[in-house]
Amino acid sequence: MRAKGSHLPEQAPGTPPPVIAEARIRHWPAGTVLAGLGLVFAAIAASLVMWLAVDQRLVKDVALQLHDQTVPWTLERQRLARNLEELRFGGQSVLTASDQGGREEAFFLVRVLAAHPSMGDDPRVALLVAEVESFLAQIVSGASKPDLARWEAMSNRLRLLADDLSVEGGQRMTVELARMTDAMHQARYKLLFNLILVAVFLVSFLVILQRFLIRPLQRIHASLMTLDPHGPVPQPAPLAMAEIHVVEKAIVRFHETLRENEDVRRKLERLATTDSLTGLPNRRHFMGLAAAEMARAARYGRPITVGIADLDHFKQVNDRFGHSVGDHVLQVFAELLAETLRQTDLVCRYGGEEFAFIFPETAPEEAMRLAGRLRLRLAERPVVLADGQVLSVTVSLGLADGAGRGLEECLARADQALYEAKHQGRDRIVVAAASDERVPTSP
Amino acid sequence: MARIAIFHIFLAWALVVGVMPAKAAEPVLRVAVLNHSPPMSYTDSSGVLTGFNVEIMHVLCEVMHVRCEPVSVTLDRVVDAVAAGEFDFAAVSLLATPERRARVLMTRPYYRSISVWFARPGVRPGSGRVALVKGGVQHRYASAHAWSVVPVESHDGIAVALQQGAADGTLLPMATALALQQDARVKSLGLTTAVLRDPELAGDVCLSVNPRSPELVDKLNEAIDLIKRDGRFDRINSRFIPFRLQ
Repeated sequence: MRAKGSHLPEQAPGTPPPVIAEARIRHWPAGTVLAGLGLVFAAIAASLVMWLAVDQRLVKDVALQLHDQTVPWTLERQRLARNLEELRFGGQSVLTASDQGGREEAFFLVRVLAAHPSMGDDPRVALLVAEVESFLAQIVSGASKPDLARWEAMSNRLRLLADDLSVEGGQRMTVELARMTDAMHQARYKLLFNLILVAVFLVSFLVILQRFLIRPLQRIHASLMTLDPHGPVPQPAPLAMAEIHVVEKAIVRFHETLRENEDVRRKLERLATTDSLTGLPNRRHFMGLAAAEMARAARYGRPITVGIADLDHFKQVNDRFGHSVGDHVLQVFAELLAETLRQTDLVCRYGGEEFAFIFPETAPEEAMRLAGRLRLRLAERPVVLADGQVLSVTVSLGLADGAGRGLEECLARADQALYEAKHQGRDRIVVAAASDERVPTSP
Repeated sequence: MARIAIFHIFLAWALVVGVMPAKAAEPVLRVAVLNHSPPMSYTDSSGVLTGFNVEIMHVLCEVMHVRCEPVSVTLDRVVDAVAAGEFDFAAVSLLATPERRARVLMTRPYYRSISVWFARPGVRPGSGRVALVKGGVQHRYASAHAWSVVPVESHDGIAVALQQGAADGTLLPMATALALQQDARVKSLGLTTAVLRDPELAGDVCLSVNPRSPELVDKLNEAIDLIKRDGRFDRINSRFIPFRLQ
């Protein structure tokens, strides 16, 4: 059976294993690859985090600036604006006071306010306040008369400046909030980009895992599930990681070992079941097969015939020409058996020059015809020895009807018939009768 | 007997659960405050100690979740007492001079102040007898400039000295000057006013803290920052001062 997904031809038993193609490809260890990918991912993630941290830092800085500087500054601006209004009210009181005492009392507040250090925090305020204080001081000292029109102009300037101071904090906060909003928007885009990048990396990571780790593992799984010593040699993937490559090479070696073991097993099986001289099944193997055939015939009530053949005067051949000639005769007879008998017939070297037969689905009469054909062919094919001598060999056969009888009994009856054939002069076939009567046939 | 035992157990539980944690959870701070120094610290007509600094103290203690115990002291004892650890801090407006910083810890400034000259007509700074509160920057300034000083214990004593003719003039911090200007006892004197712009007489105003309690400075700074943001500082300001303290 061939391995799943393999495109290689099946290897014939006994042929040497193919050399594993070692392409000049470096197989990276999975640990190194994964650690490398992890480091790359960590570096990318760290870079992205730092990239995002820039905006986060900006937002944090602006928020801190808002909290620590802008908000207090705004509150101080509003307090300064409030004090400008108080200054304006004080000035108004100076101008509208009914007597000098009232003017001086009202001017006292103006003087204190104008001298306060906070009035010097803003040049516009400092200039205007100095102008107002000077204007009012001249009125209080009597150096000049109240100029209501000029005061009205100053009062308006004070009011407008107070308004400006009140909104400047808000303007500054608006600018900083806009910076913060921009930074947050930018961070949002960066986050989106980062998410896409991370997704791309993860997909790439999964693709790499699938291609170089998971798929090779699946291939290994398939190879192991379908590993067959007669099947094709599993081929290592060219781009697998080192550990995978090692396992695949191990599988190839394992396949090779399996195949060698199978060859050995076949040889041992052949040795255990075959007669080494003739190549026919040996007696033990034959007995197993014959018993099965007998049982089958008995179960289905089919005809079957058992036979035993013995080469005539074989001892004399051995004695006269030597055992090598005897072996040659046995081999020639075995070849003749293979040519003459049917595929379904069983034959074995029963011992020495004796051969046992099982003719399945064959009644003794038919078996007798087969045996007769064998005897005639042997007679037509004398054995030619190495020195050119022609040796005529004959055979005696005893047959017994196996229907309804046990193997041992049939063999004993066939052996008895063989004995009868020998007794009657050899080179003949005797069928054991249903009873103990023997029926001689040819010649 | 069993009922009495159960009652005793319940009583003990009530004491432990109800009384002990309340006392243990709220530390008490001793705070130095001035008296007779309107509008910053004074006793009102109902006998209650109040004023800008007193109310600020209450709010700061509320923010810090501590119970404060105000103790009246005179200005000349404030720095010595805080430096000696008699008080955790002083709710007294002190200009942050290097000499004071060397002896006590100072919070961040909670406003800035200037000094105002009050005098009878014709009396100029440095001339005449000048009533000054002992321990104040103005007292130190006058002494350093060899003025003729009439020392008094409190700002209230200045009005008395001026009214009684013991002094011809005075030099006061900005907020106290506002109160003196409204004081009926001196209104009839026709005092003239001027702002002295010497840097020694103006600058940042801070609270002084026990030098052995630096952590209290941080807490006070945070509390000052908070009440200046959430409006409580300005609301107290509006109750006692006619303009915004900055």
